[in-house]
Amino acid sequence: MKKKSLSFIINAPSLLLFFLLFVCHSFSQNQITISGSVKDTEGVPLAGANILIANSSVGTSTDFDGNFQLNNVSPNAKLDVSYMGYINKVISVNGKVLFNILLELNNSFLDEVVVIGYQTIKKRDLTGATSLIDPDISNKNITNSLAESLQGLTAGVTVRNGGQPGQNSQIEIRGTSSFVNSNPLYVIDGMIADANQTINNNDIESIQILKDASAAAIYGSRAANGVVIITTKSGKAGPLKLSISFNTGVQNIPKTWSLMNSRQFADMQTTSFINSGLTPPLSVGANFNPNIDTDWQDEIIRMGLTKDFNISASGGGESSSYFLSGSHFENKGVLIGRSFKRSTLRVNTELSRGKVTIGENILLSNSNTKQPLGSFDTGNPFFDMTVMLPVIPVRGDDFINDLNPGGWGIGNNDAVTFAKNQVAVADILREKINFAKIIGNAFVKVDFLKGLSYKFNVGVEASYDFSKGIRRNGVTQFNAAQRPSFIADNRSGFKSFLIEHTLNFNKRLGKHNINGVVGVSDQQTKRDFSLAVRTDISEVNGQIFTEINSATGTSTSEGGITDHYRTFGYLGRVNYDYDNKYYLTLTGRLDSDSRFSKDNRTGFFPSIAGSWRIIKEDFFDVPWINDLKFNASYGELGIVTLGSFDWQGTINNNTIAILGNIPQVGSYQASLVNPDLRWENRKTQNFGLETSLFDNSLKGSMAYYNTLSEDALVTNLPIALYLGNLGGTPPVNAGSIRNTGFEFEASYKNTVNDFKWNVGFNLTTNKNRVEEVGNRGEGIDYIQTGLTRSKVGQPLGQWYLLKTDGIFQNEAEIDAHNLNGNLIQPFAQPGDIRFTDVDGDGSITDEDRDFSGSSPWPTLQTGLQFGANYKGFDLSLQFVGIFGNEIFNSVRRELDSYQNTNFRSDINPWTPSNTNTSDPRIGVSLNDQGLVDNARFASDRWLEDGSYLRLRNIQLGYSYNDALLNKLGVSGLKIYASGQNLFTITDYSGLDPDVQGNGILERGVDNGNWPSSRIISIGLNVEF
Amino acid sequence: MKNLIIIIVLTFGFFSCEDELDIVNPNALTNESFWQNESDAIKGINSCYSTLHRPGFSRWQPMAYDLRSDVGASFSPWSDLANAMNNFIQSDSNFGPIVDIYFDNYAGIFRANQVIANLPDIEMDEQLKSRILGEAYFFRGMHYYHLASLWGNVALQLEPSSPTDLPLTSLEADVWVQVISDLSEAASRLPYSYNDYNDQGRITKGGASALLGKAYMQIQDYSNAKLALDDIVVGSGASNYDLMPDYYDNFKITSEFNIESVIEWSYIDNPTEITDNDVATANHNYGTSIGQFYGPPGIGFTDGEALRWVVGEFEIETTVANERDPRLPVTFLYDYTDEFGPASTLVYGQTFQQRYGNNNRVFLRKFLHDHIRDFEGFRGINNYRFIRYSDVLLMYAECLNATGATGDAYQYVDRVRDRAGLAPLPTGMSQQDFLEQIKHERLLELTGEGHRFNDLKRWGDLNSSLSSKDSGFNNFQTGKHELLPIPQIDLDINPNLEQNPGW
Repeated sequence: MKKKSLSFIINAPSLLLFFLLFVCHSFSQNQITISGSVKDTEGVPLAGANILIANSSVGTSTDFDGNFQLNNVSPNAKLDVSYMGYINKVISVNGKVLFNILLELNNSFLDEVVVIGYQTIKKRDLTGATSLIDPDISNKNITNSLAESLQGLTAGVTVRNGGQPGQNSQIEIRGTSSFVNSNPLYVIDGMIADANQTINNNDIESIQILKDASAAAIYGSRAANGVVIITTKSGKAGPLKLSISFNTGVQNIPKTWSLMNSRQFADMQTTSFINSGLTPPLSVGANFNPNIDTDWQDEIIRMGLTKDFNISASGGGESSSYFLSGSHFENKGVLIGRSFKRSTLRVNTELSRGKVTIGENILLSNSNTKQPLGSFDTGNPFFDMTVMLPVIPVRGDDFINDLNPGGWGIGNNDAVTFAKNQVAVADILREKINFAKIIGNAFVKVDFLKGLSYKFNVGVEASYDFSKGIRRNGVTQFNAAQRPSFIADNRSGFKSFLIEHTLNFNKRLGKHNINGVVGVSDQQTKRDFSLAVRTDISEVNGQIFTEINSATGTSTSEGGITDHYRTFGYLGRVNYDYDNKYYLTLTGRLDSDSRFSKDNRTGFFPSIAGSWRIIKEDFFDVPWINDLKFNASYGELGIVTLGSFDWQGTINNNTIAILGNIPQVGSYQASLVNPDLRWENRKTQNFGLETSLFDNSLKGSMAYYNTLSEDALVTNLPIALYLGNLGGTPPVNAGSIRNTGFEFEASYKNTVNDFKWNVGFNLTTNKNRVEEVGNRGEGIDYIQTGLTRSKVGQPLGQWYLLKTDGIFQNEAEIDAHNLNGNLIQPFAQPGDIRFTDVDGDGSITDEDRDFSGSSPWPTLQTGLQFGANYKGFDLSLQFVGIFGNEIFNSVRRELDSYQNTNFRSDINPWTPSNTNTSDPRIGVSLNDQGLVDNARFASDRWLEDGSYLRLRNIQLGYSYNDALLNKLGVSGLKIYASGQNLFTITDYSGLDPDVQGNGILERGVDNGNWPSSRIISIGLNVEF
Repeated sequence: MKNLIIIIVLTFGFFSCEDELDIVNPNALTNESFWQNESDAIKGINSCYSTLHRPGFSRWQPMAYDLRSDVGASFSPWSDLANAMNNFIQSDSNFGPIVDIYFDNYAGIFRANQVIANLPDIEMDEQLKSRILGEAYFFRGMHYYHLASLWGNVALQLEPSSPTDLPLTSLEADVWVQVISDLSEAASRLPYSYNDYNDQGRITKGGASALLGKAYMQIQDYSNAKLALDDIVVGSGASNYDLMPDYYDNFKITSEFNIESVIEWSYIDNPTEITDNDVATANHNYGTSIGQFYGPPGIGFTDGEALRWVVGEFEIETTVANERDPRLPVTFLYDYTDEFGPASTLVYGQTFQQRYGNNNRVFLRKFLHDHIRDFEGFRGINNYRFIRYSDVLLMYAECLNATGATGDAYQYVDRVRDRAGLAPLPTGMSQQDFLEQIKHERLLELTGEGHRFNDLKRWGDLNSSLSSKDSGFNNFQTGKHELLPIPQIDLDINPNLEQNPGW
């Protein structure tokens, strides 16, 4: 194709005549030459658009200016014009020789492009289970991190959140397959990094979640928990586009406990003591002070505030594009003493010349977190503020002494409680953390042949974290140990460096399409820290000196390299399809990782996937089905759940030989390590179906998955004495967990009228089953924690608790609860809880704990999104529904133990005249085994239904029309108001059924979980 | 274009860097960075000596040998202990003190195995390397000696442990073969003595030979036992040893590492110690606590004591000077430790009568500190002479007798008797009578030093007929109680292991 000049086109009519004459002389059949241009609806030329003569393999592509010429075209021919991302057009030649073809951008889902790891392919060519999330929808939520914004938006992805400023969320993709780690891999613009709270979500262009082996296998040894691929925005060709958005909101805790005030508390506490024949404490009796009525929840909870400011500039020219953004986000937390701030600057550019393209994406991010310093007496505010007594003031002169110069109200002998005064905590224990991070990548791409390109990619993530914590003189808790004040400076650095070479190929031979990538990837990661602590802070005239050199006490220090590892791998993927009808994808990754010993260092992770677009078969002819495709995949993925040096035994220098009558150092490796430590493995199977109906207005997909993890890491196994092992016991890759489940997604879009609306729904079920727990000794096939048991054949972390069975109403019932005449609960009194003697040994012990079928895992997870658009107004709604899980309410257990705590205002203790209640009798548990047993921790009294339905987000906005905009010189203006977590329907009595729990094995424990905030905000988007 | 391909291939090739994946832990010394030089080798073997002051090894093990024999008993208020140590009743095979003995021996074996496996590759002086390997072989042999004596059929770990080891039970005979192999290897490499004072306490050729002799004798191979002992009794090694003129000097802190000491374990005081666990911190207890456990009432726990009938055995013969056998008061603390009786016998500063009135209990004295102070405690400093030269001489005589050379044997027994002031033996005894005499000699010479159980087993005398002397033997079942039960922990984890017969 020669480059055409503008003049040629202008002279076209005369040339046309010339050609016609020429043609008349040369051929009996009148073949013609056609030419023209292909542009998009805005007049931008489309380079590389394909013009094919229909039903032939003859064709051409447009040049850089969007122009083309095609010879020997039959005047009756049809032209098939296509360009990636645009709707194909079929044009009849009808003897014309000049064509100005305009292509429309394709908003259809199926022609969207998807990044699946080292490749970009069309969504309709996907063979695996990949979820696409529109950042516009996820960004409607004001969140700390990307994971938090994904809650409820797609099937197969479970997100559990918390409301603390800067808090991370727990995200699980298709269940949990490891006893140790359920976090997915994040890839940001090709750089393997962590999408945590230091990233600005507004920079994100697209989010893909790879859920099965088909696409994720290319990340091989790190992909077993799923992969989240994030692409940030890039500039589009055109003049400078400036976009400013501002959003501010108020935040509060939607639900607090209903607790007693000081008068009610005094009355109930008095009743309790009198019931036990004891004198009530002075604080509720003789010395009751009606002026002290502390509402601790009120003292600690405040109105939070969020502010988010974003400005971005993007644009591009013929051979370059750029995207710059800056942002500033602030969150004043809903509890005193906590806040989070983040500023980011992003520069994404791309430049090309001829066959070479270079580009980079870089983010600079600086965050600051303020919170109370974690120490032995920091406590948990959501625990302490409920348990703390209303008869204790926040501060009082009576409390001032040497240990408590601030006079903070804490428990005392007259008002015993071991809760911490959280106002004191925020004052005495303070921490400021600064994260300074740079993350980005740069690449060089060479398209040295048509359909063959080479890319060299370098990625970098470096962060410098500095945490300064101080502990002032003071106490926060009754009878707490006395520790000196101190300053603690913790500096840590993180560096990760990635180098990749990849070769992408793309070839079409008639109806056969083949594309793929081969490459090599090398990543090194290092993390180090140093900690300096000095005791005895100086405070003079109200000024607190927070530098280490100003402290006057003893110094201690620690430091080390906590992580240093390297992963090196060869990767390859081949996608083949025939006529977009039959698809086959083969992927393989060969990885070596320094975290294992030489013998176990290398792993191979293959996968195979296939699809069948049944609608393209001749026998399939249903007019209202636009697309129907079956997918199946199988693959093996891995995940590293170890530290950098766990396979290396360390030398112990503590042994001593007495030789020559003096101690002499002995050294040897005292603790065994497991030299066979290796990857956790996950074999995944996926079967899916995608369909598009009624002119692509209704789309649906279903998938069934079955994954088996093997070599899951198990820790704390008992170890044989004949090994002579001293020190810790090594973890072993001996566990196995199976996850099966069903996913369903459907969406409908109605864009016919002025009132456009769309709705999307997703549903996930997940069944989790422990297959192996390692050799724990004969007969033991489970892992036990305080509240759960993970037993072979059962799901992970099932509740394993004592069973309660109502309240003893009278002595006769206590007597009836016996074994062969011996009372099973000899210390019980009427009004006490009856426990079931499960093992039938005549007493209630830990052996009576049992499974009850209650599970922390939901049976059903659902999400619903609704959007509507009418003449500039738009409304969107997001719902999240989780059903079938049970939560352990530790906070209620504390309240209902009746000991040293405030009470729920609706508590209704049993008395002989008040028997219709589920709350047992109240009293002081000293010397009263019955009361001690009522409050036993590991019992099902504290299990509650955790199902909930929540309106996660509602947003109403208005976009101003062109007329007004032109007057203002602005190309887009939108204002909106939104409510996040507006209401939740649940039976759970705690503050929030969305609970992050206590690790993988106790995922449903509410230990004073920080509830998600309700945020009401308004915002403004302006575009220039 | 061609150039581009070349560049790509080169950079791909450049990347297969296996060594770059070897990242060693910078925070602590690892196995990979240790075992490099002479200093590492010495530190490695030193860890073996640390096992000697772990409580299982230094306290419970000697108690298990003596209290389960007919000379010792336990009337401890800790009834599980008394039952396991005296009455052959142990319903729980995971009983702590017994498990501690089992574990400490295997901890020592793990340490020795590391030295044996890692030393050959170290570049260092070959002679020193050989000596250190000799020490390591000794420790492994010694620990298996104890496991074979007490448990018999145990797992043989001959390589540094790996968490996935699931060894089979080796029969007692095979364990003894290993003991003999290791001790022979040790004896061939060790020196007779060490020139450097800082090496005092390291095991010597004589020590390895003496224990090797004991091992052979336990499997009734008396001819090889004699060969093992030849060197230090009649050979070139003999000049290193002699008997102390004063028998008591073998049990005092003032005469440690004397000429009679063949194998001696050192204990010294660490006043700031906070634990008995020798890997938890360098600031651990490197004394011995056996004194606290043998200490008489008011001083120690008296979890073990002696039986009165042995006193009578001492009184059968008087010395040439018509005095009481001087070994009696050294062996026992009882009412007549002082010949004048309980009013004169001093027990840690008070008289026996003041403390106990007319009680006829007998307490084992050889591990106590009453010669220097009036308390015991957990940080005892009295070295344990595991094997003394008099023991070697009596062993030699027993071997000669067993191999038909009874005539030669008298001189060695007489040497021991002479030190105690007793007259030489009348000659002309039959082999059987001579053996009975040796049994008597060993009883008087070695009671309370941790050898009686093995002696009884070797002589075939370990059976319930001993109940006339020690009522604990009423529960003794032949074919079961010669061995302790393998701890259930190990059986649960390793299905390849077998419990001992009858347990």
